[in-house]
Amino acid sequence: MRRWPSATVAGACLALLFVAALAAPEHLSQGDSALAYAGPSELPPFGADNRGRSLVEYATQGAQVVALPAVLAGLLVMALGTLGGLLSCMASASVNTWIQALSEVLGALPRMVVILVVALILPDDSRGLLPIALTWAVLSSPGAMDEAAAVAQRLGGARFVEALRAHGYSAARIFGYHVVGLNLRPVVVRQGAEVMMQVVFLEIALSYLALAEDQPSFTHSDSLKSWADLLNLGYPALVLDVPTMHALVLGLVLVGLVAIMALSVGRAARAR
Amino acid sequence: MKQWWLRPAVRLAAAVLLPFAVPAIITALIWALPGDPASIICPPETCGGTEALAERWGLDQGPVAFFLGWVQDALQGDFRNSWRLQQGLPVAELLADAVPNTLMLLALALVPVGLGSVAGSTGALPRRLDPVLYVVGLVPALVLALVAAAVVELNLGASSFDSAGQWARLLAGAAVLGLADGAFSGAVTGTRSLVQNESKQRYVGIAILRGEPTLSNILPNVALALAGQLRARAIHLLSGAVVVEVVLRIDGLGDLLWGGTLLQDFGVVLAAATGFAAISALLLFLQALVEIAVALHVRRAPDLGVALEAPDPAGAGEAAA
Repeated sequence: MRRWPSATVAGACLALLFVAALAAPEHLSQGDSALAYAGPSELPPFGADNRGRSLVEYATQGAQVVALPAVLAGLLVMALGTLGGLLSCMASASVNTWIQALSEVLGALPRMVVILVVALILPDDSRGLLPIALTWAVLSSPGAMDEAAAVAQRLGGARFVEALRAHGYSAARIFGYHVVGLNLRPVVVRQGAEVMMQVVFLEIALSYLALAEDQPSFTHSDSLKSWADLLNLGYPALVLDVPTMHALVLGLVLVGLVAIMALSVGRAARAR
Repeated sequence: MKQWWLRPAVRLAAAVLLPFAVPAIITALIWALPGDPASIICPPETCGGTEALAERWGLDQGPVAFFLGWVQDALQGDFRNSWRLQQGLPVAELLADAVPNTLMLLALALVPVGLGSVAGSTGALPRRLDPVLYVVGLVPALVLALVAAAVVELNLGASSFDSAGQWARLLAGAAVLGLADGAFSGAVTGTRSLVQNESKQRYVGIAILRGEPTLSNILPNVALALAGQLRARAIHLLSGAVVVEVVLRIDGLGDLLWGGTLLQDFGVVLAAATGFAAISALLLFLQALVEIAVALHVRRAPDLGVALEAPDPAGAGEAAA
């Protein structure tokens, strides 16, 4: 399996996400009521909302909400997963037992319950997706550490490291290249990409549920729109005669792009 | 692990402690944050004077007194009153309505997951379907829940909120939970890999040569891992239940927790989170029971199907001669 096709798709999706985030306006424009519910053909490329505001603004602001927290959460999981694998190579088997115990403790409660409790106790000035994303990453990390530790154990663990030391390899080469670069990379990158995707989906879910109750979201300020707003705008098209199907389609396409990005990152890391 | 009973004993202890640990941690967090708890739970710009609120909500006596008082009341079935969600209404009444719905949703959602596990272990679903299952599993619960809500509303219209409608919502919610976020695909592939790895063991090959079925031979050895997987999947389903219950308007524990969080109703959140902890504790308890049953089973003397007789010294001598 070659790496470059997956890496290209992953890179393109990531670049698109960050370019969109950087291009996001601070506030939605006033809109033109004559363009209300305009389809993509009337107001390219994505059409307009019920007030004639371009859906491009929704898409870019949604990207701004999720881009940084999702990537940081993914990186945190990757770092903790790598740590789990390295500990398994360096220390005794009791490390694995501790990682499994940590996994059991953190996994004893549904993650969403923990997230909602965190959302409840966050002070108003600290509210945003980042603390929620990092909490999600911490809750996900024992699984990543466990899987990375299992990979390291299959590799031979401490004996593998000893064998390479006997060949005269430096610690940086053993751990940086052989252990992490060649063996842990596919696992920890896939785990990081999955968490990145989960954080985006979590933001959409939390924002949608808040919208459904006409309440402000925990994940972003009121001046920003999330991709959940696109789903909320488009949902009535499914059950009523409201011409907002283009908003629903755009929301679903963005969800799909995030899934494709996560899949591609995982595949690119796995390929040789 | 040398003492077989240690793992289930720890699990049972965790099951007992979890429903107390969760409200304790939430209470501790509220007091650990900078600022007084009343103003964290309800900012002064929203609720006005927080001293009176602290007194009314029992927050003025400190975390230990609050927690002990709350637990004491909760053990008697009194979860105090809702602060903001349904102001003044006993939370126990809200829980009594919500918990059965969530348990029913969880039980129904475990059906497709269980079927997936059976299909994975028996090979009923071929491997070539794995990519399809994986893609379906990538669909977030919110998207499937929206589709399910639209289907229910389009088919039942105004009657989607009567008794039959509630059942339709429960069934649709269970289907969503069972399929979304990799629940079904994980059950198929996870169980399949577990069973196939165990089936490669030498003792299974010998058992097949002796005409014994594979499943009964491997079951005691995979039961612990299967029980662990099933509990993890049930916890995962509970996590997704929050989204599904809100979107499909199922009056469950997740919906209650969400409403409490959104309106910063600390009383409701504390009770709902404890409710989730109690369900998680029940799952831990069931897993411990499986572990005990398996441990007792494998420690029984195997029934070899033949009567063992004491060796006959004379016969042995004849044979030697």
